[in-house]
Amino acid sequence: MSPADPSSGRRILFIEDDDHMRGILAVSLRQEGFHVQEAASGEEGLQALHEHGADMVLVDLRLPGIDGFAVTRAIRRDTDVPIAMVTASSDTYDVVAGLEAGADDYVVKPVVAKELCARIRAMLRRVGGTSSNASVQRFGTVEIQREAGVVRRDGEEVPLTVTQFRVLCELAASPGWVVSRAQLLDRVWGYDFFGDDRLVDFHISGLRGKIERDPSSPELIVTARGLGYKLVPPT
Amino acid sequence: MTARRRRRFGLHAKVIVALAVGAALVSAVLALSTFFFVRRDLVDQQISSILRQTYADARLVKLELGAPSAHIGNALASLAPANGALAFVHHGRKWYSSSASVSGKTIPRGFTRTVDRGNTAEQRVTLDGTPTLVVGVPIPSIGVEYFEEHPLTELASTLRVLATVLTTVAIATTVGGALVGWWTSRRLVRPLDEVVLAATDIAGGTLDRRVPADPDLEPLVESFNSMVSTLQERIERDARFAADVTHELRSPITTISASVELLGSYAGSLPDGASFAVTTLRLEVDRFSRIVQELIEIAGMDAGAAAVHFTDVPLADLARATAAARRPPVPVTVAGDAGRLVVRGDKRRLRQVLVNLLDNADTHGGGAVGMAVGVAGGSDAGVDGRAATITVDDAGPGVPVEERARIFDRFYRGAASGRRGATQGTGLGLALVAEHVRLHSGTVAMGDRPGGGSRVTVKLPVVEP
Repeated sequence: MSPADPSSGRRILFIEDDDHMRGILAVSLRQEGFHVQEAASGEEGLQALHEHGADMVLVDLRLPGIDGFAVTRAIRRDTDVPIAMVTASSDTYDVVAGLEAGADDYVVKPVVAKELCARIRAMLRRVGGTSSNASVQRFGTVEIQREAGVVRRDGEEVPLTVTQFRVLCELAASPGWVVSRAQLLDRVWGYDFFGDDRLVDFHISGLRGKIERDPSSPELIVTARGLGYKLVPPT
Repeated sequence: MTARRRRRFGLHAKVIVALAVGAALVSAVLALSTFFFVRRDLVDQQISSILRQTYADARLVKLELGAPSAHIGNALASLAPANGALAFVHHGRKWYSSSASVSGKTIPRGFTRTVDRGNTAEQRVTLDGTPTLVVGVPIPSIGVEYFEEHPLTELASTLRVLATVLTTVAIATTVGGALVGWWTSRRLVRPLDEVVLAATDIAGGTLDRRVPADPDLEPLVESFNSMVSTLQERIERDARFAADVTHELRSPITTISASVELLGSYAGSLPDGASFAVTTLRLEVDRFSRIVQELIEIAGMDAGAAAVHFTDVPLADLARATAAARRPPVPVTVAGDAGRLVVRGDKRRLRQVLVNLLDNADTHGGGAVGMAVGVAGGSDAGVDGRAATITVDDAGPGVPVEERARIFDRFYRGAASGRRGATQGTGLGLALVAEHVRLHSGTVAMGDRPGGGSRVTVKLPVVEP
């Protein structure tokens, strides 16, 4: 294993029980300049994350011992690190369950190394200072400090995942305007037309759970039926 | 479905008819026997009372005529036969009557003769359409025969009323029987309706549907539910198996394709032969991977395990995004009124439909030359309501008419494509297209492109805005 190189290599923790698959994908990722930490089981993965940390976690859902869902939930309890799950099919309920457990994105087997790299890069992209110049925005009792990556509600910091924060920033960049699911998929996840709408819907609902007074009747993040979502501007 | 319904109504009708006929028979027997017993009783009573009266009258006549200077007419006049009865005295050859208008000659001859010979007799006759009892009493001491005619109209009307009442009761009982039959059979059939509904739901894919417990149909419900449970277990086991196979195959494919890809990046530094081998390997691994994925997909659909993820999909965007990803890009034409068409569909599956059609055009049709999105005309829509069409054209030789339906069969290879070329399809692409389209309640057909080549037309129901 090559030593961590903080300047060029972002650290990826790859939890996968199939040695050959993990091995060859790790080689491919390393060729692309990532630093890859390998773990053959959920327990090993959590241990490695605890000891070395990571910029991103790639976890297979079907693992012996504690499975990928449990690993995802365990990671989510402590950190907001982006998690991509590796699933056998986008049709199975694994995707929904994985997103519920707290995953940010998913890749479907058979995994193509080039696509995997593209996904990882999209997830590691920093929140850009897009159209809005204001570094601090207020929406009712919610305050977004874009530069600091902090969101407060009633003065208290709300622990958002990286992806939730990015979704919120995209909505906040054009307050009062509807942002379509396709736009969110493109800007947050780097997907084209064929991205999975469920990603957006799950993260919006997670976000609402953290910043809305009553998540079942949202006042800040409003659904525009058939179009997308918008953040209601301060009145 | 129709056969089942017919049989069900058959049972329904049978129960109603059986109970109605049963009720009719029982009430008819009861009514008839009641009628005959009552009639016999009433007739007996009336006859004996008439006889009693006639004997009394005869005694009176005998007393009157026994006196000197008696006159038969006066004797008859002193009688007052009740209820419109008439009295007659036959003396020698002469008849005397209590009524001026009616003569004793109305009494049948044979009957008169019997009484003449000294016998008391009674007989029922019909006089002027009126049932009448004629009674004759010989009074030998004074040499006359005494007769009385008693109309039986009152008895007849009583019996008519009785008959009417009994008939009405019998009809009411029959109708009642039919009603009970209708109610019973409805109760009998209602649990069956429940079973039919459940079966329909289950056929529609709701595998956890069960028939609620019903005391009347306990064995049927029990065995039906246990059959469905077994079926559900089996389907779920198949689906689980498919999912397991999916998982087990996809990992090694990932490993192999990632390895080949990695190897391919070194192709430049490999000797010619090895480089060629790596290139071939890459193409074949790619194809193998697609075959396996399509097999898994079709197996999943067969097992009823296809989890569809429907969203509103703008068709023009779908076509453009798919076409733009092709190398070289395929030109897309969108008809003027088709730009805003939205279908309710699974984006991934719809993309696969288009990708497979384009792949097919490239592999077998000399290359895709264009894709078009349009609105289907009302009459030839082939699907309910308004439909959107997507056509994929190729520049190939076209597909013979007799092969056009079978081309969507799994692993079907047309007569013209017997040769196994360098670029081959998976043999499942079009079959999967057909499955996906079916899942979207659409149709797909292979036809001719104006000006040569073939044109595949997919029609999908449109979401009305």
